[in-house]
Amino acid sequence: MAEKRRENPLFDAITDPDGVLSSLFFPAMSVFLGLASAGVLMPFLGHSPAAVYRDLFSFAFRDIYNIADIFAKASPLILTGLAFAFAFRAGLFNIGAQGQFYLGAVASAACALSFPYLPSWVLLPLCAAASMAAGGLWGGMTGFFKARFNANEFLVSMMSTYVAVAIMDFLVRSPLREAKGEYPQTDVLAEAAWIPSFLPGTRFHWGFFLALAAAGAAWVLLWKTTLGFRMRAVGKNRAAARFAGIREKSVFVSVFLVSGAFAGLAGFLEVNGVQHMVVQGFNPLLGAEGIGIAVLGSAHPLGVVLSALLFGALKVGGLLVTQTSSVPSSIIAILEGFVMLYVILSFYLRHRLRRSRSRRRTAAGGEAP
Amino acid sequence: MESPHNEALSLRGIMKVFPGVLANAGVNLSARRGEILAILGENGAGKSTLMKILYGMYQPDSGAVSVNGREVRIRSPKDALALGIGMIHQHFTLVPVHTVWENVVLGLDPSSGRPADRKGAVRELEALGRKYGLAVDPCAVVADLSVGMQQKTEILKVLYRSVSILVLDEPTAVLTPGEAENLFGFLQEFRAAGNTVLFITHKLGEVMEIADRIEVLRGGRNAGSFLRGEVTERELAARMVGGDIPPVGEPPSRPTGRDVLEVRDLWVRGSRGHHAVRGVSFAVRAGEIFGVAGVSGNGQEELADCVCGLARQERGEILLDGRVLPREDPGAVFRAGVGYIPADRHREGLVLDMTVEENLVLKNLPAYSRKGFLREGAIRENAERRIADYGIRPPLPGSRTASLSGGNQQKVVAAREIEAGRKCIVAVQPTRGLDLGAAAHVHRMLAGARSEGRAVFLVSTELSEIMSLSDTVAVMTGGEILGIFPRESADLRMIGMLMAGRKGEPE
Amino acid sequence: MILEGLLARAVQMSTPLLLGSLGEVMVERTGVMNMAIEGIFLLGAWAGFTGAYITGSLAAGFLCAMAAGVAVGALYGWITVCLKQHQIVTGVAINILAAGIGIFFYRVLFGVPLLPLTVEPLRPLAVPFLSDIPVIGPALFRQNILTYLAWGAMPLGWWVLFRTRTGLVLRSTGANPEAVDAAGISVERVRFGAVLAAGALSGLAGAFYSIGYLGLFSNDMIGGRGWIAFALCFLGNWNPLGALLGAVVFGIADAAAITLQTSGIRMVPNEFLIALPYMLTIAATLARKRFNVPASLGTAYIKEEK
Repeated sequence: MAEKRRENPLFDAITDPDGVLSSLFFPAMSVFLGLASAGVLMPFLGHSPAAVYRDLFSFAFRDIYNIADIFAKASPLILTGLAFAFAFRAGLFNIGAQGQFYLGAVASAACALSFPYLPSWVLLPLCAAASMAAGGLWGGMTGFFKARFNANEFLVSMMSTYVAVAIMDFLVRSPLREAKGEYPQTDVLAEAAWIPSFLPGTRFHWGFFLALAAAGAAWVLLWKTTLGFRMRAVGKNRAAARFAGIREKSVFVSVFLVSGAFAGLAGFLEVNGVQHMVVQGFNPLLGAEGIGIAVLGSAHPLGVVLSALLFGALKVGGLLVTQTSSVPSSIIAILEGFVMLYVILSFYLRHRLRRSRSRRRTAAGGEAP
Repeated sequence: MESPHNEALSLRGIMKVFPGVLANAGVNLSARRGEILAILGENGAGKSTLMKILYGMYQPDSGAVSVNGREVRIRSPKDALALGIGMIHQHFTLVPVHTVWENVVLGLDPSSGRPADRKGAVRELEALGRKYGLAVDPCAVVADLSVGMQQKTEILKVLYRSVSILVLDEPTAVLTPGEAENLFGFLQEFRAAGNTVLFITHKLGEVMEIADRIEVLRGGRNAGSFLRGEVTERELAARMVGGDIPPVGEPPSRPTGRDVLEVRDLWVRGSRGHHAVRGVSFAVRAGEIFGVAGVSGNGQEELADCVCGLARQERGEILLDGRVLPREDPGAVFRAGVGYIPADRHREGLVLDMTVEENLVLKNLPAYSRKGFLREGAIRENAERRIADYGIRPPLPGSRTASLSGGNQQKVVAAREIEAGRKCIVAVQPTRGLDLGAAAHVHRMLAGARSEGRAVFLVSTELSEIMSLSDTVAVMTGGEILGIFPRESADLRMIGMLMAGRKGEPE
Repeated sequence: MILEGLLARAVQMSTPLLLGSLGEVMVERTGVMNMAIEGIFLLGAWAGFTGAYITGSLAAGFLCAMAAGVAVGALYGWITVCLKQHQIVTGVAINILAAGIGIFFYRVLFGVPLLPLTVEPLRPLAVPFLSDIPVIGPALFRQNILTYLAWGAMPLGWWVLFRTRTGLVLRSTGANPEAVDAAGISVERVRFGAVLAAGALSGLAGAFYSIGYLGLFSNDMIGGRGWIAFALCFLGNWNPLGALLGAVVFGIADAAAITLQTSGIRMVPNEFLIALPYMLTIAATLARKRFNVPASLGTAYIKEEK
């Protein structure tokens, strides 16, 4: 088995499964390949991928407004990404972020519409709290079902989104409907409920930093607290966690409460920061995109933030491209889907590299782990 | 003598590398027709890997296999079966929820939409059973059968396909001595018909009883080939280990302490609804190692699970120092001073993806946290102390536990449990899968705990381990404790009979 | 009259649920969950419509739908069975991709028409004599051919699963893949084949919505019913006949919702009726106490540390 291998330090560094370089290289490659694959489809509609991508990136960074928009778009994505990633760390699947987002949005709007006379510094935190409570409780319901009935949380959270949509539709069509009664949407919220803008003249609002803070909180929760420790133990080895006396049922509920709260907070950001009202069926893909972002970011808060910014840029540029040319908006979903698939393939690749590296080391007479 | 016409199979220069493990490093093996060849070696010597290569479940990295003088490529069990090679695995490859005949018929003509022919299969099975003395009810559900019966099903599965080379991987690990005798009888008949048997084991006694020839493997390499008459057990043991066997056990002490762990009339239900533990009562004193011997599957694991709070008893009490232990609360049991070294360190003992220091505090988080936040300094300190005390290699608290060797992983578990078990330590199969050096280390740790005046409750299917470590020996069969005696007055024959006691079919 | 209409519609609406859940039962019996089911339903609907529109033949459309289902199934199977990657994450990726691809290629082929393109959907085929039985006659025997096929497929599926050698292999693969491996059968091949079969059935199910019922294609026409079919596999205890029962119940719920909506009765808000099937699924998931889950469901079979 004596193979002559030229030592290539760059190759080794990139393929070192525990190395920093590989955590950047593989996601970057996945994004690149995703772009390329989506690009392959563009000629079907008579567009040149090179031209489309050139436009996309130049649009995204064309001026301050667009760059600021990236941050605006990324803010809720960070949160729905965190929602999935956080639950994933405990071995749980929260597919219901879209529903938790909607209910958080509605709760925040209801709050703002009920107390329009309150000053900003009271109303905003109130709305934020309402959105987190609504999202958290809705998510917590799934966690409770799993703890109490050993229900399949994937199915329950998936179905709960459809129920949440129905609830939102109902609320927006009757009790919370705008005074005019023309469209299924609420009135515009009072200015006191508007999240102040970070860059005047753009849509970049302070909510972005709230999302960053949430990511930081997630990181602290996961690696610095006992709840996070218990979550990670349950996620990696339920039998050992149970044996260690960790009560997994309470972990299930706690995880979904927090995860749902993240998604609900996204509702606050979108409603109070950007739309300033609730329109039926707005942002329908936020939950699914959050899953893609979490996967791309390896379920790590920092990865989620970076991926959300990337997706934000793709959306800003992409939307402009679809508005100024006849490239359909479905290309964005295609792009996201491809990126996710490549990330999954990259997991496989890293796994093989890890194995062959380990095998080479052993055959050369290393200590047997 | 070697006659090429008589050679049933031969393996030459087999090399197999797994990530981190050199399983086979150029192994040679040959077997003749009408012969029982024993493949002897301790855990990790590469015996199972070699046989799985023969059976097509693994592919060798290099080397050649010949069957009946012709070189062949065995790419899958299908090829092996076609060549007349059948294998009885250590962990039965049966589908528990299906019946015997369904298991036997599995794989024959799989892509036909033909109805599975129950009556024909049943008839043939009954005939086979009569021919070889392996009677099993073809319509019984496998999960309901005793272990001995399940093994017979495995054998019938293989015989149904007309094999001439039979490979058995540690077949007596799960049998009572009586069932093992039965098996040997069958093997001798099988050999007499001109077939070949390859018998993997690590038990010297069996080898001397049944084998015609013996091949010793150590560390993935050949370590000696003998005819049975030419060699003694001592020599074989030396070849297995590669040197002198470290001194086994310590002289029994006379425990005079009070009762630390008391179990009174315990009844526990097993996973299939039956009673796995039936009215068990005993006591373990301070400074005593109480060893429970028994073939696995007789309720020992359920008993140990119950003691440490992983299972709930239906009836009966467990007392620690006179106080009733909290039920089904492993955390509380742990904090009360009971350490538990589980049978499967990968499943229950450790979270492999977490670091060594994290695993060391896994069961005792409240002591290492303040207001919900982890006290990282204290966690690190604790890890450094344990690593030093127990000789865990490599001495890096922040390394992933998965990267440690089996022996070192067990040291992590032991370190955590022995430290915490200031009153009592429960150890189930503590040396499973460890090489002799690591196993000796674990034994020393347990003996050390005993010397410090703690109660040690040991469960093991390795009779030698029980006999060398325990002060008091108990035999558990069919969920009951059939006898408790001090080690000096225990003899193997009596224990063997007790182990066969109520368990197993009428012989 | 209303009852008849309700029953007829219930039987009709249960068709895709039957097909989808049968495929799911087959594949989950081997230990693999088809997490891409919603996406396959959608692409099946698209492929069915496209095939039927271009060739003018509904049969061709259904064949295209099955082919699309097999193709997506192959991708999912390759990643989860051969490459042994995570089933849920892969399914989510494929579902997202499918949503985009369907509508993208609709645009490529048909542009942006002013009015949605239509085909003539399946017409009911009355069974002589039987369809004249009062009440249940029209409900059961005046359905389209796909419905008859679906209802016939369920007992057939039961028979294959529990009475043939192939079924034995399928069930054994999910219960104990090591046993199947040791018997000389490739676990991966069995699972991959089952995934393809599930893909074909789910593609067909999706096409029901586009060319079997409505006669057009729109991106939100599936609306989570793929997931209901998925849930029916659980609720039916991995038994085609159990899934059949579940599909009937859901068919009735679906039909009741539509009937109430169109009848103008305003007892409950519309949205509640729309949400009814999903709430039922959740309730049923909770109520199922003891499942006979295939022991290896969801875990990849790792044969050797390659």
